[in-house]
Amino acid sequence: MSAAKGDHKELLNGSFTDDLPSLVAAAHELKSPLALIRQLSLMLEEGEISIDDHKKILRQISLTSERALRLTSDLTKSVRLTDAMFNLEPINPKQLCEDVVSELSPLFLAHERKLRLVSRKHSTLIIANRDLLKRIIINFSDNALHYAKDSSAVEIKVSSHSSGRIIRLGVRDYGPALPIDTFKKLQSKLSNSPMPVYARPQSSGLGLYISSQFADIMNGNIGMMRHRDGATFYVDLQASRQMNLL
Amino acid sequence: MNPISVLVIEDDKWLAEQYKRLLDKAEYGVVICSSADNAIQLIDDSLPDVIVLDILLTGSTAFALLHELQSYGDTCNIPIIICSSLVNDLNLDTLKDYGVKKILDKTTMIPGDLIAAIKGVLQ
Repeated sequence: MSAAKGDHKELLNGSFTDDLPSLVAAAHELKSPLALIRQLSLMLEEGEISIDDHKKILRQISLTSERALRLTSDLTKSVRLTDAMFNLEPINPKQLCEDVVSELSPLFLAHERKLRLVSRKHSTLIIANRDLLKRIIINFSDNALHYAKDSSAVEIKVSSHSSGRIIRLGVRDYGPALPIDTFKKLQSKLSNSPMPVYARPQSSGLGLYISSQFADIMNGNIGMMRHRDGATFYVDLQASRQMNLL
Repeated sequence: MNPISVLVIEDDKWLAEQYKRLLDKAEYGVVICSSADNAIQLIDDSLPDVIVLDILLTGSTAFALLHELQSYGDTCNIPIIICSSLVNDLNLDTLKDYGVKKILDKTTMIPGDLIAAIKGVLQ
């Protein structure tokens, strides 16, 4: 059932307009995968392509669709953060990262890249919301996929900081270094920007903005490190005081 | 074999592959490049007849490349076709000074548009 005219008016005068910068960023982020899906679909419609290309295009369409759907799902969650309850519980970060590697491996394989986990055998449990944390790591990995050099691996690293009180989950890409001015801008805005943060020139920064919101809900924060040959985006979360039984 | 060479500068690997499929089919010589920085090197090595350029690129932006190409006598006349999803923010009249002959909207273009645009700018 469609909304009444009054509902639309309320939307336009209320919070809807407050979210316009995010909406513009969302529209921009969704344009690229949708444009690609459309181009590939039109190619299939035209025919006259090899069986191998046909299979490849179908695979690219499904993987690109999944990527776009992940963004829409993140957006929905981001908008509802203030209304919804997100339970925080002890989580094994290594296991969660293994799940992400398993979920994203087909996408990385299709791009002829690898995603791998670097972690100690027994990692300390963290206090987090499984779904939100998974989405942060997927966001960082998606970002790394785009900027990593051809055939290079993207690494998800779990490490301990502040005498074990903080556990850092970082995603390291080996791609072009961030320009220093972009890096400085990021450092100052990353954790509490009211607007999407532009991580790299062609990014709307929406993924980082959403990740920052998700981290905040879990009493954590996100950050980034600039390397000579790429970047690491990370989320810091509190270690659980529960005994690690895993 | 069509002797016309096309340099495609597009950092979305799958979209670049798609352009290559179209250009191969039309028997153009195609070189794919994912960044403006690498493109400069490729253009130095071999001048393309046409450049197909995305705007939002990793590293240096397309605008830096446009400035660079305009700085040299042998590259300033290479016709450039911009393929972007940001066409509403681009002005062809302004970009004409940088060798841009045509702007294609990634969100609305059909496969035949790229070939038609190349034929158009080479006329």
